[in-house]
Amino acid sequence: MKKIIAVSLVILLNGCTLWKFGGVEANTNINGNVESRCTVNTDTVGYYGNPNAYTLTTLPASAGQVPIVRIDTSLANAYKAQISYPTSFSSSPSLGDTVVWTGAVAVDQTSVNDMSGYQSASTTSDGGAMRIYNLTHAGTTWFSVSSVATYGGGQQKAFPSGSYTAVVVAECIAQ
Amino acid sequence: MYRSVIFLIALGGTVLGHDMTPTYPSWSMSFVPTAKQTTMKIFNKRQDVQWYQINIFDSEWNALPFVTRYKYINVPYLKHAEFDVFMSTENTTDAEYICSTSKLRGNDDFKPIVESRICSRFK
Repeated sequence: MKKIIAVSLVILLNGCTLWKFGGVEANTNINGNVESRCTVNTDTVGYYGNPNAYTLTTLPASAGQVPIVRIDTSLANAYKAQISYPTSFSSSPSLGDTVVWTGAVAVDQTSVNDMSGYQSASTTSDGGAMRIYNLTHAGTTWFSVSSVATYGGGQQKAFPSGSYTAVVVAECIAQ
Repeated sequence: MYRSVIFLIALGGTVLGHDMTPTYPSWSMSFVPTAKQTTMKIFNKRQDVQWYQINIFDSEWNALPFVTRYKYINVPYLKHAEFDVFMSTENTTDAEYICSTSKLRGNDDFKPIVESRICSRFK
């Protein structure tokens, strides 16, 4: 019995010595993998300015702000982006007259120079409200979405007082 | 008077985003003999959104019937949600896209305006 205890103590002491002088190391790996994905982000929020009674616009010159949507893709040719400017209010006071919507979607910045052709290669749908981009390069693209709403069907009628909200749709569709 | 009206189309100064993986899901056998299943994962980086709607479409963007635990999934900010989707075997051949769409709330003070939609494609 004493022999067993003595052998155990020797083994334990050797273990402690090895640990103290770095003879035993414990490696902890941090593993990860980058999965193919698309992320839709809102980098800059937008709001309408109201330069006159019958116009709402995101143009900065009219005290508005153009929203910026950022799309990140980790795999080339895996996704297409579809960005739409608003064509109706999602909430507003009761409106008895016509609202005319115009807008534009444009590439604002890119993380890769090769993405510079995105705008010229893009197509439109939904009467021009939706712009479709083939994301042929991995990386980040920033899109600006401007919007103008004019009330009165060309007769320049004043918008009723109240709060107005419109929705930009940013989609990432796997190809 | 009209100048006093503030027209808001978005709020929030931080990066707001969402993603869904995998990009190319596939169907596998389920515990229901006549149905197949796939598993998807959503990551919510949108502080202004907590709910995402799930839909499945064919190649012409017609909605297809499917079953999941919730069609509106609650995903708290900076959290993942993993969910299983079940579909009858005969419909899986038509299924082309599975999409998650952020659900916006318009009746509170914080009014997000960017509706984000991510669609994965069945291979």
